[in-house]
Amino acid sequence: MQSLLTAGRSAHLALGKRAFTSSARRWQAVPQEKPVLMKEFKIYRWNPDQPEKKPELQSYKIDLNQTGPMVLDALIKIKNEIDPTLTFRRSCREGICGSCAMNIDGQNTLACLCRIDREGSKNTKIYPLPHMYIVKDLVPDMTLFYKQYKSIQPWLQNDNPPEKGEHLQSPEDRRKLDGMYECILCACCSTSCPSYWWNQDQYLGPATLMQAYRWIADSRDTQGAERKERLQNEMSLYRCHTIFNCTRTCPKGLNPAAAIAKIKLELAVD
Amino acid sequence: MSTRVLGLGPALRKAAFLPNAARSQVMLRNVVAKRSIQIQSLTPSAGQEILNKQRVVRPSSPHFTIYQPQLTWVASIFNRVTGVALSVLLYGFSIAYLVAPGTFSSENVIQVVAGLPEGVKYAGKAVLAAPFAFHSLNGIRHLSWDSIKFLSLKGAYVSGYIVLGASAISTVALTLMK
Amino acid sequence: MSSSLLLRSAFSRNLTHRLAARSVNQARYATSEASQYKYVPGGPIIQGTVNDPTTFPAPSRTHGSYHWSFERLLSAGLVPLTAAAFVTTGSNYPVLDGLLGVSLIMHSHIGFDQCLVDYLHPRKFPILGKVATWTLRTATVGTLVGLYQFNTNDIGLTELIARAWTA
Repeated sequence: MQSLLTAGRSAHLALGKRAFTSSARRWQAVPQEKPVLMKEFKIYRWNPDQPEKKPELQSYKIDLNQTGPMVLDALIKIKNEIDPTLTFRRSCREGICGSCAMNIDGQNTLACLCRIDREGSKNTKIYPLPHMYIVKDLVPDMTLFYKQYKSIQPWLQNDNPPEKGEHLQSPEDRRKLDGMYECILCACCSTSCPSYWWNQDQYLGPATLMQAYRWIADSRDTQGAERKERLQNEMSLYRCHTIFNCTRTCPKGLNPAAAIAKIKLELAVD
Repeated sequence: MSTRVLGLGPALRKAAFLPNAARSQVMLRNVVAKRSIQIQSLTPSAGQEILNKQRVVRPSSPHFTIYQPQLTWVASIFNRVTGVALSVLLYGFSIAYLVAPGTFSSENVIQVVAGLPEGVKYAGKAVLAAPFAFHSLNGIRHLSWDSIKFLSLKGAYVSGYIVLGASAISTVALTLMK
Repeated sequence: MSSSLLLRSAFSRNLTHRLAARSVNQARYATSEASQYKYVPGGPIIQGTVNDPTTFPAPSRTHGSYHWSFERLLSAGLVPLTAAAFVTTGSNYPVLDGLLGVSLIMHSHIGFDQCLVDYLHPRKFPILGKVATWTLRTATVGTLVGLYQFNTNDIGLTELIARAWTA
């Protein structure tokens, strides 16, 4: 290996003398030294191996000029370079999987879609999704959320499928599903909802309710009446008080509050 | 380190088609090499026990103490607080009148109010007018949402600021009303 | 062709049998685990396995859409009633005054009740929740009677507010 290197260098020198240029490097742009921009991240920590220790905020300082633009980049940098025990969910890093949902500076959002505030003097606080049982650090237990999603039977149900081919739908009917089918079930909205905080064992929450309406509104589904009847009780739907935190926080720009309001009106005129 | 790196691929593949005796030899070698970890088989209920044991020590993450104050939920909680305050006043006065009609007769109440200093009167009226104005106007905002109007995020914010502004004006007007 | 169809249907029947057996098993596990760690509404222990959907409370339109519609109609009705109270006097229109009073009390009762369901539901607070609910019901009846007395024997709600305001 060493001999190979020296051989290469001598050949290069010989070539350089002949061409009157010392190296190609001279023509390349010199990478500019970026100034150091330190920023403090305060991150919620809790370790299930030491359950008696109360959850706490741990501080990490990183150079933003050596970090990607998003909060997820910062988290990955901290995990790679400072503290490998920091635990969080992430997968697609482009806002389509919904894994990295967390509370950043007081708002629920996806870490991969949230730009780091480049104001170095202010710290950024990162908490897990609010009012959830914490598995570790920024990882909440989503079991109940998924069980609730399953309870609304999120699949097409039709008693008499067409003789042959697929279910047809007019462009107008298809348009009713826009803004609802895009939901990635990241649970940002449900865990931003105060009603869901207080009654999540019985109230379904905005994410699940919007998906319930996504199937009620689907012209190809024939179980709409049964779907609506299941919501006819005090808790499942009517704990929604139109607070609008869900729509405010949705990282995909969807509007669960509107979907829930439409369910209520449809149930009222039934 | 896969079989390809070690060049064992073809040998293993051949072994797979060999008669039983030769194959079991190969498999035995694999077992000796790989089974250094003990795996315990659990029934689903035993697994559930382990999971529940972990669940009961899990902390609940912080919520309204860390959530950013936003017009959405701050207006909502004020709607509830103002409504409860006004209703408590209504309930309180009605039950007080039921218990002691003499003490809480209109004459006495008006007399007490008339005897207050001017500043206290205005302050009291402002304190009553503000929740009434906000709760009434925000109630109209809620009714329009319930009839599928202003249901966008922008609609919620614009109507929210309008309600706040209108409440402020109404409070001043009601306080100065003679 | 026919034999393969037969085979397939036999296979699918076999599969459904096995699936049914599995769901029975799941139910058994779900009940046996409840004994060790007790389910508390809103607590970290979750009912059923991770694969079971959550269940719905028994359907009741009285607690569902009828309640919601009544609440909205009542609130909407309060808008003209409140506006009327500003331009009329209670002593000239006692029926309007009484209607406003009853509507306000019902509106208040529903509002208080919503708070109780949100914060003190009996499933979470079996004693305190029930006490609060019955206290509210008693208070509402007392308020109704008290306001009726005040409206019949005294000057009435609208008039009182109007006079106290300008006192």
